[in-house]
Amino acid sequence: MAGKIRILIARLGLDAHWRGSIVVARALRDAGVEVIYVGNQRPEAIVKAAVEENVDFVGLSTLSGNHMELVPEVVRLMREAGIPEIPVLLGGTIPPDDVPKLKEIGIDGIFGPGTALKDIVSHVSKRA
Amino acid sequence: MKRGLFNKSSLREISGRRKRWSDCISEPGEGKAESRTLSGIPVKPLYAPDDLPDFGYQDRLGFPGEEPFTRGVYHTMYRGRTWTQRQLAGFGPPEETNQRYKFLLEQGATGINGVFDYPTLRGYDSTDPEARADVGRGGVAIDTLEDMRILFEGIPVDRVSTSLVTCQPICNIIVQSMYFANAQARGIPFDRLAGTSQNDFLMETVIAIAPVVLPPEVSFKLSCDAIEYCSRRVPRWNPVSFAGYNYREAGCTAVQEAGFTIANAVACTEELIRRGFSADQFAPRLSFFFSAHNDFFEEVCKYRAARRLWAKVMKERFGARNTRSMMLRFHVQTAGVSLTAQQPLNNITRAAYQALSAVLGGAQSIHVDAYDEALCVPTELSSLTALRTQQILQSETGVTATIDPLGGSYFVEALTDELEKAMAGVIDEIDRMGGIVEAVKRGWIHQEISNAAYDYQRRIESGEQVAVGINTFRIEDEKLPIELFKLPETLRVQEMKLEKIKKERSAAQVRKMLDRVAVACDRGENLMEVMLEAVKAFTTEGELAGVLKKQYGVWNPPLFI
Repeated sequence: MAGKIRILIARLGLDAHWRGSIVVARALRDAGVEVIYVGNQRPEAIVKAAVEENVDFVGLSTLSGNHMELVPEVVRLMREAGIPEIPVLLGGTIPPDDVPKLKEIGIDGIFGPGTALKDIVSHVSKRA
Repeated sequence: MKRGLFNKSSLREISGRRKRWSDCISEPGEGKAESRTLSGIPVKPLYAPDDLPDFGYQDRLGFPGEEPFTRGVYHTMYRGRTWTQRQLAGFGPPEETNQRYKFLLEQGATGINGVFDYPTLRGYDSTDPEARADVGRGGVAIDTLEDMRILFEGIPVDRVSTSLVTCQPICNIIVQSMYFANAQARGIPFDRLAGTSQNDFLMETVIAIAPVVLPPEVSFKLSCDAIEYCSRRVPRWNPVSFAGYNYREAGCTAVQEAGFTIANAVACTEELIRRGFSADQFAPRLSFFFSAHNDFFEEVCKYRAARRLWAKVMKERFGARNTRSMMLRFHVQTAGVSLTAQQPLNNITRAAYQALSAVLGGAQSIHVDAYDEALCVPTELSSLTALRTQQILQSETGVTATIDPLGGSYFVEALTDELEKAMAGVIDEIDRMGGIVEAVKRGWIHQEISNAAYDYQRRIESGEQVAVGINTFRIEDEKLPIELFKLPETLRVQEMKLEKIKKERSAAQVRKMLDRVAVACDRGENLMEVMLEAVKAFTTEGELAGVLKKQYGVWNPPLFI
């Protein structure tokens, strides 16, 4: 991969918690990743931004519990938009029972509470 | 001249002895060289009278229920009345949350603490395309007055005090109106209603930013509208609870938490005075909400310092004469952000220590977090365990017998002084910027919180800050030892009710009410009166919030800094 790695970071639905996504965004930026942070967005807007920004990763964050509805929607729209190959990462409060279902629809990395920043950074950097 | 508690010759002798003692422990390896509180204040290994050379008892502490209120806001504190055990509850449709309220009251909770779902907090109907995935999540779904009726059905709201966690003013002005209108419909006069609304503009514009945000000055105005209305009409209602707890959850230090909270209260006080009130007409009903985080002594001292600082601000800056205006009364929630998803039962212990700090700090009401809150909405079992934690603390440990039992500890007094100084510094800085509304508009508050959050996380990563189960004492491949909460069906329940209400209500009356709200916005009137009438016509929250967004416009908050 030439140049800087680019990641889009978005929060899903009406979830209110920005602490996790901002802290991860800052850690990635400090590690030399280019971060496009778009805040709360609908799935359509997230996918549109991913196409336009030509990103290497899509990072989604939610702590509200809306992930089983909105994450599959993002994945479906990415397929429709012709970018199914871009890895999707998910962070937030994801109950253990949901993890296998999300892996099955192709989520590349799931980072729950207590994840070390360095693990997220290395997950992203190793694709370089 | 104010006299200190200790005389000069004793202090000299103590300083000499201290030198001898510290020479004994200066050998390498005898304890860490430096220690700091969570907010970065250096802490010594030992405190003695020479740490408080000018300490004047009356000036710094006084007696409980008297200025400067360091030792507590009431004369008898928990001897007279113990703190209110107010466990947060809310999920799914109002039918389900009503059952949870009743369960907690039956089990001995002494107040209601109702939290609303993400769409309700942001002014969306459950059926809005933006909202559907979050309906019933994080709180209870409320769309119309009918939902409010169901939520409090069978609960004696004239006898039980209710906290409405209507964080965002856009939500508060509508949902609080529904609460008042529902009480009216039940024949309960406003002067019988006791409770609190959160109603904090920082929640809307900094802490819990939604896709669509009202401009800071508008959100602030709506907050002040509710304060003004309640001070005239609902005398036992606390119309605002400055939500330092949530600022802390977003990343603040203890110092910033209290500093931003008081700066917000200062701004509201200035605005109400501008609207023609004197401080004593509304300030007795301003209330505060703080976190109880992990650093035990810093938390105890934070409450004491904030109390003393607020009393000084009200008296010296705003000329308050009624001592009730100077009393900082506060609710505490144990720190959700300190909970771990790993080894979740450890959270019972964490929350118990945190709640103890709130009690030793003189809190008026407390919510103890449930052990599963890093994973899901609390189950009945985890909610009950949290309530029992409060009951054990209150009845078994003996901590309620003596007021401010840590008062007079050299360490606690020195740290209280340090914290007060640092909080006053935050308030000065915000004053220099032109006040907290201006500081929000510039993105300064976002920046400060974001920096503090990142800094905290990096200290966990480096191991400097220990988190049991996270960066030490981990269990690899842990099997979750608890059952998680399953959210009941919500969207369909709300959809059916909304459909029925829209069929049965008078469309002409709804149109008229929405127009009246729009006119009141344009004229810059206080919106409370018109909202109270509008909700009675079964207008939906989304319709009313839609008018506010249209009339006032929206703001793009700074996203990533």
